[in-house]
Amino acid sequence: MSNNNQYDMLIVGSGPAGQKAALHAAQSGSRVALIEKTRELGGSCVHRGTIPSKTLRENALRVKNMRMNAELANFELPEDVELATLINRLNDVLLAHDTYMRRQLERSSVELIHGRARFISSTEIEVITVAGEKFSLTGECIVIACGSHPHHPDNIAIDHEHLFDSDSVLSMMYLPKSLIVLGGGVIASEYASIFQALGVEVTMIDKYPLPLGFLDSDLTETFVNGFKHMGGTWLGETVVTRAYWNGFDAVIAETEDGRQIKGEKLLCAAGRIANVKELGIENANLKLNDRGLISVDENLQTNILGIYAAGDVIGPPSLASASMEQGRRAACNALDMPPGIMHNIIPTGIYSIPELSSVGLSETQAREQYGRVLVGVARFDEIARGQISGIQNGMLKIVCDPAGKKVLGVMIVGEGATELIHIGQMALLSDARVDLFVESIFNFPTLAEAYRAAALDIVHQRKKL
Amino acid sequence: MTAPNRLPDRLLPLQAAILEQINAHHIDVPMLPEVAGKVVRLTQDVDSDASELATLIQSDQTLAAHVMRIANSALYSPNSSLVSLQQASARLGMKLISEIALAASINSSLFNTPGYEEHIQYEIRCSLMTGLWAKEIARVSRRNVEAAFITGLLHAIGRPIAVQTALKVAAESNTTLDTAEVLALEDKFQRQIGVQVVEQWEMPRLVVDVVRFFDCYNDAGAARNQTMIAIAAEAFTHHFMSEQGDNNCISREELVSQVVLAELNLYRDEVLELLEKQDLVKSAMEAMTA
Repeated sequence: MSNNNQYDMLIVGSGPAGQKAALHAAQSGSRVALIEKTRELGGSCVHRGTIPSKTLRENALRVKNMRMNAELANFELPEDVELATLINRLNDVLLAHDTYMRRQLERSSVELIHGRARFISSTEIEVITVAGEKFSLTGECIVIACGSHPHHPDNIAIDHEHLFDSDSVLSMMYLPKSLIVLGGGVIASEYASIFQALGVEVTMIDKYPLPLGFLDSDLTETFVNGFKHMGGTWLGETVVTRAYWNGFDAVIAETEDGRQIKGEKLLCAAGRIANVKELGIENANLKLNDRGLISVDENLQTNILGIYAAGDVIGPPSLASASMEQGRRAACNALDMPPGIMHNIIPTGIYSIPELSSVGLSETQAREQYGRVLVGVARFDEIARGQISGIQNGMLKIVCDPAGKKVLGVMIVGEGATELIHIGQMALLSDARVDLFVESIFNFPTLAEAYRAAALDIVHQRKKL
Repeated sequence: MTAPNRLPDRLLPLQAAILEQINAHHIDVPMLPEVAGKVVRLTQDVDSDASELATLIQSDQTLAAHVMRIANSALYSPNSSLVSLQQASARLGMKLISEIALAASINSSLFNTPGYEEHIQYEIRCSLMTGLWAKEIARVSRRNVEAAFITGLLHAIGRPIAVQTALKVAAESNTTLDTAEVLALEDKFQRQIGVQVVEQWEMPRLVVDVVRFFDCYNDAGAARNQTMIAIAAEAFTHHFMSEQGDNNCISREELVSQVVLAELNLYRDEVLELLEKQDLVKSAMEAMTA
């Protein structure tokens, strides 16, 4: 670290938001310090969340497909397979990612500081190293991008041995025989379906009737049907009053209606809260909002001049992609650089099995906003590629304005949804009419043809208006 | 007890003979008579609580490992690799586990370390405490808690067996050993023996790697974090169990400043919080060794 502790910008946290803020600020000629609590760069996204779970998902998909094609290969996953085997490439992936990030930051002259940050004032931060040394840094502006960590409800005795949170679930030694998943959000849906695809008996419990409540129910029903088809159990409208390890051979989840659900392990995915416990934000006259997050304005600035926040710490959408953009924009705004048009058309990707993805307005949101809307649906099992690939649980939905012309949103459930969504995203960004999909020639056979089929559905409805 | 830095030349033939035993896979893994007796009594008591048995088995590294080895045998678990007693009980049922424990206690030879019983007892207690501290460290680090216990418990499994082997080979070759020499031989061969034992028991690769790379965790690859947890746990054990004047004795300040804790990214306040779990670990120790 340089002797001069005065910086143009201090950034707390090296996740997607922090990294992008640091790179953008440094590349514009500012003197930047990036403070990271852990030895590794990348935050939870890289080390405990997005990347590890997707690595596991890749193998889960392979296992699922091999089971589906049993006549091609007599495949059986060994009992008690170690989880390390299923995320076998993770260390290589993380090492490559860390090396790449480190090089990129160093090349841009971002100063990396390994330590724990704590506000002394609105312009000064004290860093405590892991060895206990202390020093302070000052910044013209500060970007808080310290991410989030899993929320632990008081009635769920998480011990990271029998009852896990989403940060620790992949530290399991072996693939359990059964797993209870508490929650119905993105993380819960991803892990529940991934483990089910691996042959674990998964019971997913949530207080709402369907998981992923921010999506239309026809999509989530398709997801639930796919989950059940793999052998999973979905217990909607079920409130868990307590979950604990019985001290011997099982985790018990007690429900409000008096049931006791037993499992070998449990994953609690009950939301995430801002990582600000050690940050001393009160010293900068900042405080958390009632959702336990840091509030920001449209420029990602907090109520304190010069202090910005980005990523999970400011709340939804809590997507790595959105966090990166927020980080970049926070840096631009802090340094008085034009950030460009902020597209609020950010796709949402849920890496469950099957995948779900959406962009723009859902059907529910569109009806609230426009009243009557036209909706075109294409089912993957009616598309040649879907039949060839054996994708039974899949659909693509286009939502149009009442005139059936302007595309308002696209929602997809099925394998490949997170890639396929970008066609819809481009259509939305270019303000395209739905007819574009009908007039375009797609490769055959592809799942992208579902766009054409769904668009045709709307065109037919339009004729009847 | 303290071992000398260097073994005398007169013990070279003895060392060669021990090495030969290791290379020929002739190392016995005995069990403690006291615990074995308790297992026998418990399994014959119709009112006994199965969790009591699990706790008892877990309290003894050699018995726990023995049960795991048999549970992992082709007879009971073809194509599987059980890594914890909890998993073994969930998979095989407690009745079968009891039978395995009973069979293990009846069929195993006992430690034969005349004059070193106290030393062995102490080492077994140290290993148990290391396992318990490893769990707490893993919990704080959000690492594998389950693996932490078994790796902590077995990290020094080679020690009592090294003492037994040294005494046995010395007796066979009419060599007289003093205490310091026995301890030096233990120090010298325990790691090799430990690795061989966990390999023979077909423990998961992670467990084998922790034992193998315990003295050089930077070479442990994917097992690096788990190895560091076991090393950190041993440091906690040395702090709480070693007496003033012992080679292994670590003061509170020395413990907090352990490089391995910083490598695990545990900040000083987190280490101090961990130290507050002393009573919890102590209670668990008491429960397991009662």
